[in-house]
Amino acid sequence: MTESWFGQRRRRQLQRFLQKGKLTILCLFLTIIVLRGNLGAGKFGTPETDIEEIRETFSFYRKRVEPRRVLEEAETIKNDDASASGNNYATFDINKMFVDEEGDDIKPDPNKPYSLGPKISDWDEQRGDWLKRNPNFSNFIGPDKPRVLLVTGSAPKPCENPVGDHYLLKSIKNKIDYCRLHGIELFYNMALLDAEMAGFWAKLPLIRKLLLSHPEVEFLWWMDSDAMFTDMAYEVPWERYKDRNFVMHGWNEMVYDEKNWIGLNTGSFLLRNCQWSLDILDAWAPMGPKGKVRDEAGKVLTSALKGRPVFEADDQSAMVYLLVTEKDKWAEKVYLENHYYLHGYWGILVDKYEEMMENYHPGLGDHRWPLVTHFVGCKPCGKFGDYPVERCLKQMDRAFNFGDNQILQMYGFTHKSLASRRVKRTRNETSNPLEVKDDLGLLHPAFKAVKVSSS
Amino acid sequence: MGQESFTAQKRGGGAAATLPTTNGGRPARSVSSLLPRGRQIHKTFNNIKITILCGFVTILVLRGTIGLGNLVSSESDAVNQHLIEETNRVLDEIRSDKDPDDLDNPSEPEYNPNVTYTLGPKITNWDQERKSWLDRNPDFPNYVNGKARILLVTGSPPNPCDNSIGDHYLLKAIKNKIDYCRLHGIEIVYNMAHLDKELAGYWAKLPLIRRLMLSHPEVEWIWWMDSDALFTDMVFEVPLKKYDGYNMVIHGYPDLLFDQKSWIAVNTGSFLFRNCQWSLDLLDVWAPMGPKGPVRDEAGRVLTANLKGRPAFEADDQSALIYLFISQRNVWMDKVFVENSYFLHGYWAGLVDRYEEMIEKYHPGLGDERWPFVTHFVGCKPCGSYGDYPVEKCLRSMERAFNFADNQVLKLYGFRHRGLVSTKIKRIRNETVTPLEFVDQLDIRHSEQGSSGSQS
Repeated sequence: MTESWFGQRRRRQLQRFLQKGKLTILCLFLTIIVLRGNLGAGKFGTPETDIEEIRETFSFYRKRVEPRRVLEEAETIKNDDASASGNNYATFDINKMFVDEEGDDIKPDPNKPYSLGPKISDWDEQRGDWLKRNPNFSNFIGPDKPRVLLVTGSAPKPCENPVGDHYLLKSIKNKIDYCRLHGIELFYNMALLDAEMAGFWAKLPLIRKLLLSHPEVEFLWWMDSDAMFTDMAYEVPWERYKDRNFVMHGWNEMVYDEKNWIGLNTGSFLLRNCQWSLDILDAWAPMGPKGKVRDEAGKVLTSALKGRPVFEADDQSAMVYLLVTEKDKWAEKVYLENHYYLHGYWGILVDKYEEMMENYHPGLGDHRWPLVTHFVGCKPCGKFGDYPVERCLKQMDRAFNFGDNQILQMYGFTHKSLASRRVKRTRNETSNPLEVKDDLGLLHPAFKAVKVSSS
Repeated sequence: MGQESFTAQKRGGGAAATLPTTNGGRPARSVSSLLPRGRQIHKTFNNIKITILCGFVTILVLRGTIGLGNLVSSESDAVNQHLIEETNRVLDEIRSDKDPDDLDNPSEPEYNPNVTYTLGPKITNWDQERKSWLDRNPDFPNYVNGKARILLVTGSPPNPCDNSIGDHYLLKAIKNKIDYCRLHGIEIVYNMAHLDKELAGYWAKLPLIRRLMLSHPEVEWIWWMDSDALFTDMVFEVPLKKYDGYNMVIHGYPDLLFDQKSWIAVNTGSFLFRNCQWSLDLLDVWAPMGPKGPVRDEAGRVLTANLKGRPAFEADDQSALIYLFISQRNVWMDKVFVENSYFLHGYWAGLVDRYEEMIEKYHPGLGDERWPFVTHFVGCKPCGSYGDYPVEKCLRSMERAFNFADNQVLKLYGFRHRGLVSTKIKRIRNETVTPLEFVDQLDIRHSEQGSSGSQS
């Protein structure tokens, strides 16, 4: 009897052991699943990959799932024979082609404060001497017309958005046209001069470098790649700025009184080539260096400026902050222009183009016919913009055509409509072409005339 | 899900283990009958609780990691999916050739083959007209600072390329041209409009050139350049003095042209036209093979029959010009300079691999095979879907040519690319407090000022 009792007890123990064992195994299993879900398990994969495999096994069509990327194309795989031979541009991944030899530059000393370059204190004298020695490279190309260099640029790699490069191309064509009409030189930058000042800050080292390398340039006009000229006939009133060194679009009240972060816009501005400009660039730069400096500066700016969201320091907010905090030093030579659209926010302008064409004419530059339409926030080259893609791209087409019509009318053409790429004739060919004057007088405008004694 | 049921099974299995005996050899008295009924229920209840709890935890964990598809799809995924579809629709619409105005004007008037195509009404006194205009407008002279006024004309189609890589290289090519033209005081016209529906494609340059000549009498030379041609010698300048007695400058080889009648004897991807009556006449005689449709196809057959090595396809402007030169030699050739002492057009295949050698041995300013003036990527067609050459070779070569030229521009600023296929740059000269000494040395405009200096 003891034997059977012992056996019973044994069995009971065994049962209990099995029970507990099952519980333990169950909990262990759950733990493994949770950990695998959170950390992944290397080649054993994650639950996401499991799902992928299950989907692929069971689904008929292969689809590439892109959960977070908004502006990337979801391509269907083409079963082309030609792709095998390598002549097909669609299947080529260009980012594999770029190779950076010769290593990285020496990392700058993190303890030293950032500087754009060695301090120059006598730039006005150096430049003045140079101009005297080089009379052929005068800084004025006409009695009231300074030599201007328009600077713009974009990244050297292809855009992530498949049509981004096309809009960059249209934008540069637009600038080429304006600059040709107005005798302005153009510099398109595709080089990142300083890796620390990347993004919107990249213009600072570039501007400094260009000012110092081109003493013949009187005014440097920075313009963002997403800004387009929409008034081809408007000439900037250079005389107005003869005592000023820095012209931006903005409002004095919004900057100095309200401290509003969009009180001015650094997407399109004029900077004179002089010592003062070098000094303001040096004062502007410290918030720029990527990383901790920029993030910390961003916090300072958000707390100091009205309406600024939380993000890293940008050049525009930094300029507002600089003007507000060091008003006595800089404000005298800064002109915040708002009588014409040196920068025109696209949101309030693009729907009115037809109305403008009906009621007004080019040459006004202001709300009736804006000089510049600036597509802030659209970011056509990147993946994410702040506005719906369709609105941005379609409106950029309209703005481009609006400006292009003024160029085409010189030659007797116009776009069929603001949304159309096709052109139609507005006047027939004639056998006396020189008697025909274009309506806007842009073929041979006064601001392009050269001094009579040219040789 | 499988794991769920597995768990339930496991649980069920586990539960079963606590229920009455699994062991067949046991006596009839089961474990459960040892326990009072209440305890039994209590135990079952506990088991069920544990089952439910574990099942719940499993569901949560699985939902968190995998998601359950359409059972409980998260809102942001749906929104993103919608955005992607919407974006793709917009992009497809932009890239297609559809135009909102196609609905208004469904068909242009059909081309009438009985009427000979003309670029415009015949002008016969352009030289006099132009001269008197220049006299009346002294502030728009045709010679500025001793140099003839040149207008560089290039262009591309108004719609996006079939592939975004194409647009990117169009952008780089125009930057390259902007750089060269800034250094040499040349103006640029970038055309993106089809001025004449019939002369589309490579023929589109003809009405454009004519239109620009007539609208800009102050321009002395019109320089057409293809969008796939890049400047690779930023210092070299076209020696216009050499062409005083000529009206057209085109790269080619006279023996290939007249002896062999080869269809690639000259290249119309980069050539200069003087703004004069002769040029207008040549354009008028050149145009008739261009109009799209039966005319162009028929002309193509004539050209293939008469020119050596030409494949069978519709008439192109280059073959048509060669045919014109050969068949009307006496009329035109005394004013055409067939240039080959420098690469006004340089076929890319023989040049791009030698850039490193050139950098080592030679210097910019030569313009010839030692340092080519222009590298022209014929046949690559990055704006289309397929080229005549392998894509990798074409794009790598275009990148190399672009960087080769860009290095010459960046030199003034103290930078250089990190290799000919790199988009990154490195410093080759430290910043200094006296930047102007380098400007005097390195600015291309200053060095050429010294060497030229001839008056008009």
